[in-house]
Amino acid sequence: MPDWKAIVRQRLASLHLNGAREAEIIEELAQDLEDRYSELRAHGASEAEAQRLAQEVLGQSELLAEELRRRDRPPFEPAGPFSGIRQDLRLAFRNMRSRPMFSFLVIGMLALGIGGNAAIFSIFNGMFLRPLPFRESSRLVDLDETAPKWNLKYVGISNADFYAWRKQNSTFDAMAFFKRHGFDLSGFGATQRVQGALVTRDMLKVLGLQPVLGRNFSLQEDSPHGAKVILLSYGLWERLFQRSRDVLGRVVKLSGESYAVVGVLPREAVFPDQMELWAPLAAGPNDSTGWYLSGVGRLKHGVSIQQAQADLLRVHQVTPLNGNKITSPVVAPLRDRYLGDFRIVSRVLLSAVAIVLLIACVNIAALMMVRASSRVREIAIRTAIGASRGRIIRQLLTEMLTMAALGGAAGVALGYAFLRGLLALMPADEMPQWLSFPMDARFAAFCVLITCGAAILSGLLPALAASRVDTGSCLQETGTRVSLSRGSRRTLSGLVVCEISLALMLLISAALLIQAFHKVLHVDPGFRPENVVTFDIDLPEASYGKPEQKLAFFHSLLEQLRNIPGVQSAGAASAPPLGGHWGNFFQAEGASPLGARDENPVVLQVVTTPGYFDAIGMTFLAGRAFDEHDNALRVGPDGFTAIKGPLVAIVSETFARRYWPVGNAVGKRIRHNADNAPWITVTGVVKDEKHYGLDQETRPAAYFPHGETVFSAMSIVLRGSIDPQMLAAPARDVLRRLDQGIAMYDVHTMTDRLNESMWARRAYSWLLSAFAIVALALAAAGIYGVISYAVSRRTHEIGIRMALGARPDQVLRSILASGMTLVAAGVATGLTATLFAARLLETLLFGVSSRDALIYGGVIVGVSGVCLLANFVPARRAAAVDPMRALRTE
Amino acid sequence: MATQALDRELKKGSAELLILSLIERRARHGYEISKLIAARSQGTLTFQVASLYPLLYRLEGRGWILGRWVEKAGERRRRFYRLTPAGRKVLAAQRLGWQKFAEAMRRITGVKYA
Repeated sequence: MPDWKAIVRQRLASLHLNGAREAEIIEELAQDLEDRYSELRAHGASEAEAQRLAQEVLGQSELLAEELRRRDRPPFEPAGPFSGIRQDLRLAFRNMRSRPMFSFLVIGMLALGIGGNAAIFSIFNGMFLRPLPFRESSRLVDLDETAPKWNLKYVGISNADFYAWRKQNSTFDAMAFFKRHGFDLSGFGATQRVQGALVTRDMLKVLGLQPVLGRNFSLQEDSPHGAKVILLSYGLWERLFQRSRDVLGRVVKLSGESYAVVGVLPREAVFPDQMELWAPLAAGPNDSTGWYLSGVGRLKHGVSIQQAQADLLRVHQVTPLNGNKITSPVVAPLRDRYLGDFRIVSRVLLSAVAIVLLIACVNIAALMMVRASSRVREIAIRTAIGASRGRIIRQLLTEMLTMAALGGAAGVALGYAFLRGLLALMPADEMPQWLSFPMDARFAAFCVLITCGAAILSGLLPALAASRVDTGSCLQETGTRVSLSRGSRRTLSGLVVCEISLALMLLISAALLIQAFHKVLHVDPGFRPENVVTFDIDLPEASYGKPEQKLAFFHSLLEQLRNIPGVQSAGAASAPPLGGHWGNFFQAEGASPLGARDENPVVLQVVTTPGYFDAIGMTFLAGRAFDEHDNALRVGPDGFTAIKGPLVAIVSETFARRYWPVGNAVGKRIRHNADNAPWITVTGVVKDEKHYGLDQETRPAAYFPHGETVFSAMSIVLRGSIDPQMLAAPARDVLRRLDQGIAMYDVHTMTDRLNESMWARRAYSWLLSAFAIVALALAAAGIYGVISYAVSRRTHEIGIRMALGARPDQVLRSILASGMTLVAAGVATGLTATLFAARLLETLLFGVSSRDALIYGGVIVGVSGVCLLANFVPARRAAAVDPMRALRTE
Repeated sequence: MATQALDRELKKGSAELLILSLIERRARHGYEISKLIAARSQGTLTFQVASLYPLLYRLEGRGWILGRWVEKAGERRRRFYRLTPAGRKVLAAQRLGWQKFAEAMRRITGVKYA
């Protein structure tokens, strides 16, 4: 008897059924054949005949294979809303594979667009959408005082005010006040600088935190002359004490004084920003130290910011100690105070990447429509055999959605890389520590949303157009002649116009920002930053309590620094350019008195040593710099109150112009804003320095000798004849030889400081430019594609025209004209849109109008040029058409 | 040719009705089913193995019939198919449909069915 199993197995080999299933089928079929064979034999058939007859019923193996394969498919499902999705997906993948270049292009464009959006969105999300890392952080607000009359948005909070607000408010659960305060930490290797905060004891309560170890400051410790105690940050605890629990009660030497550790802050204590330890503020209500504190408050449940502000204003107005009525409280969301500047920037960037994605979608839509024209027959056939319009649209959308999903996945990966790059651009100390940019649920939702949006944007129009196919005429026509309907062509043209206008808008915006950046770079800073290095030192009160000690130390330090080979000049200032603001108010002799409603502008007050103006490279317009005689000690033991004259000052040109619009300022006198203050003689006028940044406004400034106001913390400025980086190490040696207990910190070259001060402007200007160039490239590709398509569809017509006598240059011109009409329409709409959109940019611009004609003109010429080029290639192809060949191909 | 016609019928579903009817009372194996169809139709209808078994698997996949290996003493094991409750409902519905169809055909064509 034949081996029926072997016969059946051979027949089924091509099916690749799964093992167990195959064995069963083989067994069952073999059994059937065997039965047949046995019966045939029983009826007297010969062995060969019986085998032939039995085998015959096995039928053609292909039929069996096909039937079995069908068996393997899932059973038929009733038609529901989702029936056929699998089929749609399968079709989508098949179509994608059949046109790999097209699919790659579409997915690539989507990935680019979605990647950009993902990255910028995650920055926006981290900055403005994610809650701050504190319990019920929406109730946290920033507290400050404003003084428009002094031309100051924020002045800080005075002791008297904070006591009154804290005691009398009815809208806050808690309020805390703080100021940054650095310490020289000794006893752990070389003396190092640690950044600390002096805080009121309510800080933990406001933030909703508990120490991980030990306790908060007591009321007594947070009062004037309280015990010297600190709370360590988690990071410092780890770094200095390896998280030892024995740290409580340990004494730490800070700036020469002993502080006892009473507790350790949790990791979450990231506000105030970048602090390594907290010490009690311990301020009394009557300490008249001016406005110097920052504040943070936790609102009561259900209290709005406006209510809180009104409440504080009420308290503020009845505070007897609040002598002037110039300052008033401001309450703002915590985030706004620290990130407000970035809100506009991130919105502009977000709109820009959205436009890039939009252009990508428009491009894809155009590509899809062109592609759809070659699928018209396929669609017509499917319609003819009963597919509904909705079904066709769904199939095309599924196809788009599949590509969008792939593009989205690639885009998120790209966006992640892009985000890492962006974060690397941000200088660490410019960004609050409490910011993080994780890929959270909001980010995921955003990515899914834009991916679906992109799919629908780029797929819906083409799908609608394609589903409107006229079945009859399509099937009658031969395949090659099928072309887009008039409506589809018009849609296509509309898409191209759209693209060009969006690209134009982005390019103009980018050009405006770049021009602004260029203008900023060319602002005269008022000093010479090259070859200058600066660093800070802070003399501890414990060993340098007397003004003469401080003066003497700085004098000998500077003397020795000047002896370092390569140092040209050295000086010190309380605040070099970009080094912070300390303001005061002045009266000027002979200036017209202020009216009741005039604002009294705050004057930047800088304390300097001899040699400073030389070292920083400031220019004298009149008079002379300070000499050692000017720098002699003129004040009492408090370091501030003048005891012996003569007092001198140098003023900036803005100061001189403000108070003495005519005549020479040298020899005139100024005094602090009090009637009993001593007069100070102006010995010189310097050119304005851009103290707050190249793109910031200039305030009047006055410079005083160190001997008149004796600071313990000063910035040392060294100008070298060599690379200034090389001067830091020998300077550190000099300092160490003078006093080992003093840390040298914030070492920067002036060039770096300037560059860093512009990082945000640089970053967003270049980012926007990159987006704009991508947009232009996409738009150019769009035009090229659409015109190429049009030319390829018109080859026949062009052939006829040329056969009838049209010259190639006429054909070229006519094709170019049709393309450039679209470009002109795009430029016109783009221009209109830009005139409105550029207003959004106005606060970011510098020295350039948002309607700068030169930039607009340049970009229009550039865009038109690129488009002309994209247009020219297919137009030349059209002009090169061989009429005979064109006609024969039909 | 009869086989081709039947194969077409298979695809249209009338063969389903044949199979369901044959196993309504008792479980049968594949060869028995094909023999019964040939015998009862007096040779008019024959099944190719290539069509019958895939159809059985399809019906099984839909849950209308259930196949089970049964061993009898002295014989090799065979796969017997029986009707499931779901299959019973389908059979009733198909039978009704077929009757209506046959009745309609009869009225129009005047052909008498047995």
